[in-house]
Amino acid sequence: MTVLEVSAVRRTFGGLVAVQGIDFTIGAGEVVGFIGPNGSGKSTLFNLLTGVLKPDSGNIRLFGEDIVGRPTHLIARAGVARTFQIPMLFWNMTLLENLLAATVEENWSTAQSRAEQVLELLELQHMTHHQARDLSGGQQRLLEMGRILMRDPKVVFLDEVAAGVHPRLREIILTAIRKLRGQGVSICVIEHDMELTQSICDRMIVMDAGKVIAEGPFETVTADPTVMKAYLGDITL
Amino acid sequence: MTLNQSAGWRGLGVVSKVAVIILAVICVSLPFWAGPYWIRIGTGIIMWAGLALSWNVICGYAGYISFGHVAFFGIGAYSTAILMQPEYNWNFFATLPVGAVIAGGLAAIVGWPVLKLRGAYFAIGTWALGEAIREFATVVPFTGGSYGLSLPPNTSSAFFYFTMLAATALAYLICYVLLERSRFGYRVKAVRDSEIAARMQGINADRVKIQAFVLSAIIPAVLGGINAYWITFINPDSVLNTIFTDQMVVMVLLGGLGTLWGPALGAAVLYFLSQQFSALFGSSTWYLVFIGILVMAVVLVLPNGLVSLLPGARKRGVLNQVIGGVVGGIHQTKPSAGAATPKEARHDSP
Repeated sequence: MTVLEVSAVRRTFGGLVAVQGIDFTIGAGEVVGFIGPNGSGKSTLFNLLTGVLKPDSGNIRLFGEDIVGRPTHLIARAGVARTFQIPMLFWNMTLLENLLAATVEENWSTAQSRAEQVLELLELQHMTHHQARDLSGGQQRLLEMGRILMRDPKVVFLDEVAAGVHPRLREIILTAIRKLRGQGVSICVIEHDMELTQSICDRMIVMDAGKVIAEGPFETVTADPTVMKAYLGDITL
Repeated sequence: MTLNQSAGWRGLGVVSKVAVIILAVICVSLPFWAGPYWIRIGTGIIMWAGLALSWNVICGYAGYISFGHVAFFGIGAYSTAILMQPEYNWNFFATLPVGAVIAGGLAAIVGWPVLKLRGAYFAIGTWALGEAIREFATVVPFTGGSYGLSLPPNTSSAFFYFTMLAATALAYLICYVLLERSRFGYRVKAVRDSEIAARMQGINADRVKIQAFVLSAIIPAVLGGINAYWITFINPDSVLNTIFTDQMVVMVLLGGLGTLWGPALGAAVLYFLSQQFSALFGSSTWYLVFIGILVMAVVLVLPNGLVSLLPGARKRGVLNQVIGGVVGGIHQTKPSAGAATPKEARHDSP
């Protein structure tokens, strides 16, 4: 079953074409990795798919329904959740409040007990009443994962969720991702850590200069000369 | 573990509970043992505690610096004054909801476009609203123009004290329930801290911001109505002067931005000091110098306000967030790849 269908999506910023005519689909329960050099349009694509940005043209269908132009909060309520490249937490709220705020539009009666479970899973229970601004960079990413776990998403977008994170915290994040996967959630991951990407992704989509240049299993795309050229440039060994 | 351990009666220690009870007893009994001067001081403190609370709702909780809040105070004052004129002869208490509805309605209408602005742009927009209402009140005939309006006198200082106390207490109760004990409070604070992230949790940020703005407009409208009856004469200078908004800002910063009780504390300290200043030195511009020094001292030494000195107070960084929003609002004018444009996204930083 196709969960997300993207066709001919394009977005420009002034003269810069950030995403140019991208097509792909995501199936139910699939984990897809998005890789590519910095500035290749991955985060912009995630912003387009989650309604944070509006595409100039193209179609995005979530469970068969066109979501282009739909407000972000309605896309979120349709089952989309995400993390951000630079964590966007509720900085002046405690960890507990951050998690409760994540579920404020759903499951409010069980929010408290759920938040306690999530904090335990993320090993952050000792900081329950600390403000989000007190967290380290890695813990901030954990809390963003926690907000996703508080909800019942159907599609999750993770933007460099393990970047710069200590191996111990990275393991916790991976546990959370596997938990989502076990629940049949479709997951899209932007990640520069190839080892992590290979370990969790069913399929890869490689982007360069706003276009998809390769798509397929990890081993196939990483052996693709176009991908190697995008990463390494025109060098002759 | 409760939803929010830092707020609420159960979160207070024994000493704090005793202090709150003593304060409540003093507030309720003051007119029975204090002289007219102190009843007047008390009435002023209570009114300013309510006004500061209202500004704190839109700035401390929602993250928007409003420089036009006096508009809602003036609307409440004029609503009461006009409806109590001999040709209408409304009951005083019946006029208060009218002012609240007009102010709330105006906040909803103006808020819809203005709350799409951020930081300094929103501040300028609300300042323009305050000035527009002031000019409107000056030129239209039914407000009495610059000559103003007189209201029927009521000589009972206890009446105004208790009316002001009831209105402010009700405002605090409503804000406590809505902002500290309900889902609405989580929505408002989430939007303040990171609008994009809040939207990604399914929160309708546009609606939440307008609701918060309406709430913050209703409170000064009611207090403005009571104030008009209390001072028995109003004109644009007395109820639509920007100094009202300035005082609200200073009181909230002094007491503690984004805290429930900070505005009350700031209002009590500042109003009392200003009255003593006037008694000692008379009306002079030196008072403004004093206010300026006080604001600088608070920002530098006590960025979380006087409320942070109370036992069990929670460390907050709302001031940085709001000031960051002003700076961000100015600088976020050019779209960039990978980031949302100002129209599509708002400032989000710790």
